[in-house]
Amino acid sequence: MGNCLKGTSNEDISLLRENERSSEQQIEPIQPSSYRDRTPVFYPTPNDGRPANQLTEEEQVRIARRIGLMEHLPILAYDDSINKNKECVICMIEFKIGEEVRYLPCMHVYHVSCIDDWLMRSFTCPSCMEPVDAALLTSYDTN
Amino acid sequence: MASPSPSERRLQKELSSLMKDPPPGVSVDANAVYQHLNLWNVHMKGADGTLYQGEDFQLQFRFSSKYPFDSPEVTFVGDNIPIHPHVYSNGHICLSILTDDWSPALSVQSVCLSIISMLSSCKEKASTLSIEKH
Repeated sequence: MGNCLKGTSNEDISLLRENERSSEQQIEPIQPSSYRDRTPVFYPTPNDGRPANQLTEEEQVRIARRIGLMEHLPILAYDDSINKNKECVICMIEFKIGEEVRYLPCMHVYHVSCIDDWLMRSFTCPSCMEPVDAALLTSYDTN
Repeated sequence: MASPSPSERRLQKELSSLMKDPPPGVSVDANAVYQHLNLWNVHMKGADGTLYQGEDFQLQFRFSSKYPFDSPEVTFVGDNIPIHPHVYSNGHICLSILTDDWSPALSVQSVCLSIISMLSSCKEKASTLSIEKH
């Protein structure tokens, strides 16, 4: 009998662990790539970075919503006849023609990994400081 | 040698553009920067026609490995700390773009320009902020 009980409790623990692991895996792939640390750090506010397990539920919801909004920002191939900016102001590296760039609603463009890292900290355009979420909602209204 | 991180690459680019086209009165000791890319000493001259005309200042820029996502830490160092309402006597500068209003589109060059304009627009030399309040 003792053995039976022990067996069940072990199983419970491993199930729990598996749940934890799978919830982490859901968060990881959307973490932007280039400036990443070993443990993914999230920024509920710009100067306050914490690993996912130290965020409040409210902060997790806010970050998840932000990731959802980011997916609505178009990624297009860089075209030097349309874009005035020759380089990405975040990494200061010149765009190559045909390279994937992300467009913000204010029409400023950046390398996808550069701007995604910034948007995870602050949901504003680095060049004009326009709040991205407000601009996104306005663009939906006018459409 | 390991390839430079995005942050190091950007600092190298900023260094060469600051040396090529520095804001008026600004210069950087490039040899020292090449040794410690994350710690820059920038010389700044008080602009002509302002309260700080003829004065020389030293600024220290410290960059984290997450620059330009983290703002640089910028302080006045050395013997001559400008007497200014937004500069503490320990060299700390009260400037919003160095904290809440930082954006990765800003650079060493634009921070230097902001500090020059902060000093130049000063009408009266006064240190209203004390370290205790900080």
